[in-house]
This record gives sequence, C-alpha cells and structure tokens, in this order.
Amino acid sequence: MKGFGTTVFAKPGFTTAVILLSPSLLLVAAVIAYPMALGLKYSLSSGSLLRPGGFIGLANYVKLLNSPNFYNALQFSVGFAVANIAGCYTLGLGIALLMQKGVPGQGVFRVLFLLPWIVPSLVAVVSWRWLVGDESAFVNRIIKAFGGSPIFFLSTSGWAILIVILIKIWRSFPFMMLSLLAALQSIDRNLYEAAAIDGATPRQMFRYVTLPQIRNISIVLCLMMMIWSVNDFDTPWLLAQGGPANATQNLVILAYRYTFDRNDVGMGAATSFVTLFGLMVLVFFLLRLQRRK
Amino acid sequence: MKPMSILRILNAKFALLGAFFGVSTGLATAAPITLNFWDMQWGVSEYAVAAQKIVDRYNQEHPNVHVVYRSVPWANWFSTFTTAVASGSAPDISTGAGFQAVYFFSQDVVLPVDDLVKEIGEDAFVPGTLDACRYQGHYVSLPWGVDIRLFLYRKDILEAKGQKVPTTWDEFRAVCKAVAGNGVYGYVSSGDSAGVHTLFVTSINNGSGLFAKDGKPALTSDRTMEALQFLADLVKDGSVNPASVGYQGFDAVASFFQGKAAFLIEGPNMPAQAPADVREKIGILPPMKSKRGDIGTNYWINSVMVYKQSAHPKETMEFLKWWSDNEKPVWTDGHMASFPARKDLLKDPYFQDNPNYKYAIDVYAPISKTIAAQKGGTFPELNEIDGDAAFSTLIQQLWQGKPLNQIVPPAEARLEEIMSH
Repeated sequence: MKGFGTTVFAKPGFTTAVILLSPSLLLVAAVIAYPMALGLKYSLSSGSLLRPGGFIGLANYVKLLNSPNFYNALQFSVGFAVANIAGCYTLGLGIALLMQKGVPGQGVFRVLFLLPWIVPSLVAVVSWRWLVGDESAFVNRIIKAFGGSPIFFLSTSGWAILIVILIKIWRSFPFMMLSLLAALQSIDRNLYEAAAIDGATPRQMFRYVTLPQIRNISIVLCLMMMIWSVNDFDTPWLLAQGGPANATQNLVILAYRYTFDRNDVGMGAATSFVTLFGLMVLVFFLLRLQRRK
Repeated sequence: MKPMSILRILNAKFALLGAFFGVSTGLATAAPITLNFWDMQWGVSEYAVAAQKIVDRYNQEHPNVHVVYRSVPWANWFSTFTTAVASGSAPDISTGAGFQAVYFFSQDVVLPVDDLVKEIGEDAFVPGTLDACRYQGHYVSLPWGVDIRLFLYRKDILEAKGQKVPTTWDEFRAVCKAVAGNGVYGYVSSGDSAGVHTLFVTSINNGSGLFAKDGKPALTSDRTMEALQFLADLVKDGSVNPASVGYQGFDAVASFFQGKAAFLIEGPNMPAQAPADVREKIGILPPMKSKRGDIGTNYWINSVMVYKQSAHPKETMEFLKWWSDNEKPVWTDGHMASFPARKDLLKDPYFQDNPNYKYAIDVYAPISKTIAAQKGGTFPELNEIDGDAAFSTLIQQLWQGKPLNQIVPPAEARLEEIMSH
C-alpha cells in the first residue's frame, strides 16, 4: 500500500507546483511566520526591546490574566467591537437598501457616503476632536444654542466611550454599505417576484428573501469588522489616548503601552497573543456558523 | 574556443574586476564619513531650520565628515528610538527626552561623555545640569537645554477682575475662583504628560516630589498629598477647565492663548509663541509659597547622547563638542521655550534682554529640581516614570474630581513597581 507522502510526491507536476509556490511560501514565512515566532518568543521572555531577557515560561501570561488593566481593556475591546458591528451593519444595510431602491441623486450620495472611509484616520479623528473637544466646540455650540449645558465629551468616561464608538461607526459603515449593496444587487429578482405572487408583504420579503440571501456575506463582513475593531489603534488613541482614566484603552493600546511605555516587551507580546487567540476562537465559530445551512 | 583562450579571457576579466574594486576602495576611503544626527522637534518650525543650518556649516567646515540631520517628532519618540536601536539602526548622535540617556546608558546603548565634559569644563554648565546627567560615576550625556516649568498668567484676565498676582497657594486658589465664569477658568491643564507636570511642579513646590530623600516612593507622603489636595481643591472650586481631562498639552496652550484661562504651567518662552496681540498680556508668576511656605519648581535637563552602535564614535564626539560650542543660533533663531545649559550662551543679549528668559534664569533656575526630587541625581527608572500611563491616569482622574484616596494608591503602587525592577 502506498503511503500518503509517496502518493503526493508521485503526482505529476508536484515538483513544478513546489517550485511555483516556493516564492509565496518564503514570503509568507518571512512576513508572517518569522514575526509570529519572534513575538511568541518575546511573550515567553523577560526584558526590554533593548536588552531581551531570559525564558520565563508563561509568567507574562499569568501576570496579564491577573491584571485589572487587562480586563478593563478586554471589556472595552468587546463592547467597542459589538457596538461597532451592530451600528455600522444597521446603518450600512439601511443605506444600502435605500440606494438599491434608487433614491434621487444616488451617485452623489454614494460618493458622499464613501468619504468617511476615504479620509485618513488622523484627519478624521482630529476633526472629531474639534467637534467635541471642549465647551466651545461645534457640537456644544449647537447644544448651547438650544439652551442646553455644554458636555465635556472627552472628559467623562461614558461620553468618551460613546464618541469613540460613534467615530468608528462613522468610519466603518461605508465599507459595510458598499459590500451589502453589492450583495443586494446580486439577489435573483425572481425570488422577489415569486414572493410577491405568494402575497408576501415587503417586511416578509425582507425577512424571508433578502436576509437569507445576504446571510453569508453578512457573517464575513461582521467577522472582518470584528477583527478591525479589536485591532483598531487609531481611533481610541488619536481621540483620547486610551483615556480618560483608561476608559477607551483597548487591548492593542494596552500591548503598545506595555511594550513602549513600560519597556516590557514580554507583556506586550503576551497581550497581543491573547488578543490573537481570542480573535481566532471567534473567527472559528463564525466561520462554522457561515457553513451551517 | 581553446581552453587556453578561455583562461586568458577569465584572467583579463578578474584583472578588470580587481582594478574596479581597487578604484572603488580608493573612492570609499576618500568619501566623507556619514554621521546620523537625530534631533527632537524642540519648538516651533524655525528650530529645525536653524539646526539644519548649523549642521550645514559643520559639513562645510569638515569636508571629511558629513552629518545628516533628521528632525524627530515627539509623537511616539520612545518607540522610534528603541526600535531603531533594537534593529541595529540607531543614529550616531541624538538629542532626546530628559531621562532617555540614563535609561539607554543602563541598557548599554549610549557611550559616556566624561572626556568631553572634562574638555569643555564642568564650570561651563548651569549648576545642577551636570548632576542630572551623571549616573554611576559617568556623564551619560551632555547637558544641552534647561526646560523649566512655571506658572504663566494672563495679565488682562487678572486686571479685568481686579485681582493681584498671587504669591501663595491660598492666594492662587482665591484668584482662580474670582476669575472663573463665562467660559473663563482659573487654570487649564491637560490629561497627557504635559498635564502630569502640574503634579511635579506643585509637589516640588511643596518641598516634596515623587521620592523621599532616601529614594523611596513618596507619592503618598504628607507634602505630596498636600500638593494633590491643593489641585483637588481647585477642581472642587470649579476653577479648572473640565476639558483639561481630555486636552492634550497644545490644547491647553491654545485655550490659554485664547484667554479662556488665567493660569497655565509651561516654559518661560512660551509667550513668544503666542499671537502678537496676546504676547504682552502674558506674564510669569513669581515663585509661589506653598502650603508649607516652600518655593520651587520642576525642570527637565535635555541632553545630547552618543550611541554605541556608531561606527565613528571619535568623529561623533568631535561633532558633539563642535555642536555644543556653536549651537547659539538654534536658541536665538529657533525660538525655543527652554534655554541653554551652557552658561556662556546665557550671557547673550537674546536671553538677557528677554524679560521672561531672564526671570526664569535668575529666579527659577536656582530653585528648580528634576522629577528625581527629593532623591536627586538621575536613574534609569525616571525614564519609565516620565512616560508611564499611571501618572496621566492619575492626573485625568484628579481633573475629573475623583477622591484622592481612590486615585493615588494605584499610582503609588505603580511607582513602587517601577522602582522595584
């Protein structure tokens, strides 16, 4: 009986395939596998970037899992990701449905809606700081014009969290809208005609035709949005540097602070690996969900 | 082709190659040495232009050395330097943050500059500046700038409310309360590292700081707690702009320039960066007497360091000496907020004729201490303390009005953790 290896190696064209694939494999090894292995090594070591220390086993992970900072950052990261996914999916789908119906000036709206996605993150977040930064900021002027008291959005933890989430939704929804619009346009029109003949209301058509048809793309989009939200450094950092009082500090900012503020590259790497592990588990379950009929 | 012919051709080719490399080597020997100089963005845009001009002059006067000047932004400065060093691409020489050199020295990254200090002479530097660069019997860097933090005030706001310039903490609190209203506050600060300076300034003012004389953490000492209570009282009075929590240093400066606060902690020459119509409205407070009747403030000794990774340490040291002797235009043309550590430069009319500089040099410099107070000297842990989020969190919570007994212990615990490394 031939072994698996023998069978594979004996296949015609195996050598050619290996030769053709090797540049890509080498590139993947250089840009993904090597940094990952190095990061894993760091997470199991003490010391700083300048003077790496010795192997300390899982001590960094134990320290991290016993740190209140980690749980605060985890809590914010999860809340931030969930709120962003919910917000930008709802907004993106709503606008995509309107666009599909064909509103007047659709081309102009499409470009306008894409702007938040196109604008560089630095420009976008700094602009938001001008809008909500202090009591003379634009939003507070409007509040005062209606007789309200100014709100110090970046000074109160709750408000700061809300603003970070709003900015993230504002920056993310165009991608969601564009992708969902493409998915909506690819749905077979016959399905709607059949549903109409069966007497389905618009709500029933949306519930039983549209949603099932965009289910798979929705799962993939939510998955991508979750990864981007958890790994988002720009928005909470540029807006509030993880503050006030660490209220908007996510796992990525925590890893950055361990590595560069505290010179503890081991803890920084451990934080990154725990984040990666958490994301991989979520990706696994979401992809399983996608495969389910 | 005959085998003999092939050999001849190969020989000829090797000969040509040899000649080429010989020429190349000769050219390489004649080419100037390149030194990379990374300089922090110390002030307004004129600074980097002035610094580049000095480097250009050096390059003209020294044809065998070519110094490449690079202006480094403060954003993420520490990661810029550490990643450069870790990847083996450190500059030959750089300016840097107050405690960068001592930390790098402890990590075996920079060279001592003992011989250079000896050559220039210890008396050439403002008293205290060399102490801030001496660690384990070595000068880890060359003192370069003295960056004092002091209270600036808006003369127009105090005059409009008929208030006198405060000379004690009690008077300061009363004035802050009196001027607050209609979108104007007594004091404005920030929630970033610039805001943390308020904690350093007031605790040193009260004869304390982060450390006791024996070097033990003293954030919860009576005197430091009194300083924190003084700030907490200002918040309770409604005298501190609530936006300070989310402000960054430049936001606080902008708010002060706009006349929305009467007081701000900054450098002595900061008024020069204000709009022309505002400059004359800004003054420097005389050193205030604290609750204990002490005076004092916080300063940072910025310095220049030479990296061990440099392939040309001798030439780098020579450049550093030349830079230190010829740096005057970076101050006079660069309009820095700080002033030089070289005493001879302070005699220049640029500093003597500027009342803010002169006041800071004559009155504040002798009563200033680094954040090593009350221990003194310098040590590597200060670099971590300088940028640690625990202290910006503390100051943000203070501006939020949270009780001291809740917010100080975690910062003290973090300070103890850093010192126990």
